[in-house]
Amino acid sequence: MNKTFIPAQAVIRKIIHENDQISTFRLELTNKRLPFTFLPGQFLMLSVPHCGEAAISISSSPDKLPLIDLSIRRAGELTTAIHKMKKGDQVGIRGPFGKAFPIKDFANRDLLFVAGGIGLAPLKSVIDHCLFQSGLEEDAVHGISLLYGSRSPSDIAFKPVIELWQAQGVDCRLTVDEKDNNWKGNVGLVTDLLSDFTLQNNTKALVCGPPIMIRFVIARLVDLGCDDQSIFTTLERHMKCGMGICGHCHLDGKLICLDGPVFNLSQLKKLDVMEFSR
Amino acid sequence: MIDLKELILSKDNLYPLLRKLSKEARLIAPVKNTYGDTLFSPIDDIDKTEIDLDNQPQASLKPFFLPQQETLAGYTINEGEYTFSQPDPAQDTIFFGVRSCDLTALLYMDLIFSKPAKDATYFDRRNHSLIITLGCNQPFDNCFCEATGSGPYLEYGYGLQFIDLGDRYYVSAGRGKGADLLNKWGYFFREVQEEDKNRRYQLFLEARGQFTRNIQVSHACQKLQKETVAEDIWEKLSRRCYDCGGCAYVCPTCTCFSVDDKPQDSSSGIRIRSWDACTSSGFTRMAGGHNPVSRSRHALKRRFLHKLKHDYESHGKASCTGCGRCVDICFGGVDITTFIDLFTKQETP
Repeated sequence: MNKTFIPAQAVIRKIIHENDQISTFRLELTNKRLPFTFLPGQFLMLSVPHCGEAAISISSSPDKLPLIDLSIRRAGELTTAIHKMKKGDQVGIRGPFGKAFPIKDFANRDLLFVAGGIGLAPLKSVIDHCLFQSGLEEDAVHGISLLYGSRSPSDIAFKPVIELWQAQGVDCRLTVDEKDNNWKGNVGLVTDLLSDFTLQNNTKALVCGPPIMIRFVIARLVDLGCDDQSIFTTLERHMKCGMGICGHCHLDGKLICLDGPVFNLSQLKKLDVMEFSR
Repeated sequence: MIDLKELILSKDNLYPLLRKLSKEARLIAPVKNTYGDTLFSPIDDIDKTEIDLDNQPQASLKPFFLPQQETLAGYTINEGEYTFSQPDPAQDTIFFGVRSCDLTALLYMDLIFSKPAKDATYFDRRNHSLIITLGCNQPFDNCFCEATGSGPYLEYGYGLQFIDLGDRYYVSAGRGKGADLLNKWGYFFREVQEEDKNRRYQLFLEARGQFTRNIQVSHACQKLQKETVAEDIWEKLSRRCYDCGGCAYVCPTCTCFSVDDKPQDSSSGIRIRSWDACTSSGFTRMAGGHNPVSRSRHALKRRFLHKLKHDYESHGKASCTGCGRCVDICFGGVDITTFIDLFTKQETP
């Protein structure tokens, strides 16, 4: 009867410590016959015992199914609780929800990913998926570049993954706000990395991070000649249902959970959001 | 929609009919309580209850389909197993004495709770319900359903629609359950005569002429598609909004809710759904305290624009049914009619 707010059981298969704040929880549904598939950019409603639900974007590629990665930063009650859980513990998931990145439109394009902190999580799903496809399909994406900003060298998340990407030919450029004694790389904002980056005219840019970062990166991309249809971001909002009923993510006539969370710049311009201030 | 069936019910037969219906299903109708408040209440014994059809029920039908707080599921954590249980199924319910505005609101809720997938709990209740409306011959003080296209009489959506003709009711049946009911209990009714039809039409025209408030709802909706609301209007309204959420709670079309888990003990708990309001400050606050909607004026703005601009855009109709309850409850006097008045008078640049 009532399936709407009842999650499917999932077990934590592995926990990957990304940095002091972020861990990746690798989940698998306990009922293996339950049909489940998703597209990069979609999110789940995650249930943690006694804590309720939160919207979390999927950070792994659909090619890794039945395993599903959720990369979670410790921020509130629920996220703190899952950080205390161990391998073998169970959580609940509902979904997937939301519009995905238009992967099909990325064929034969150069992709530029610009991320800050935990913002790399939803983009990671796209990068992994594109790399998986590039080995298989003719109209896969051309080149992939990643500009990734972190607060400090110890805050850089997904380090092993980034190394793997580099080995697969992804142009990864990292920067930190504050360096430590061992850091030899870039220091400064991720927007600075964009300054010495040459955009191909067919580049699609995918941006995710704190609102202020998104805003400045988008402005810089526009200056560099990127058109509105080629700039994408994914918005984060408080949500209670994930499927367009509860009203929490309502924004200027749009619902982030149904009409988003992925938006291109021309769609974003119509919304009154702090990620894009007019 | 053309009515499948129309019949006349003598007022003497009302309670006998309701007595039969209350044996088939839970019967809910407006009843005045000891505090003098008229509210939709379950009727256990029809012979000991007086149904109040003279006053507007202070709450709409919303609480019966989206209760102020309800259990969506139970959960247990047992030896590492995290499982959820199903809630109790809905029971067959007949609502009597529902006003046109409140049924219109329910039809709007049907839209909201079915996009993109149907909300199982809501539709379980909805599928087990039959709504008998009572057309309004005399609008209440703050009503403006004529301006929102949701009254005083209805053309569709009801199980049965009653129109008070004095000593009798003119009863129209909608599709499905309503028509079935008339067939089953046919012996309480008589055929419609020309005189009944004329009387009904006369009363309808009279009712339309009795609205004292002239609220320019469609004009406001159309104007909102073209013009932005001047900042000083928001300023003026928010200064007198105390964030109490009263308007959203009494509003039959305000359906925003929250879902939270409530532990019962260390190994079990319940998942509850409760009313929420976009006018409250925590509505958009995220984990860690970040709130993407920081400007306080946004709260009121969101509610009015949702009803009059965005819903008009997506459904061709404002999601205000003119029931007037927010007018009754807002002690700051900044209800939707105040906004509509201010905005429609705003000079076009």
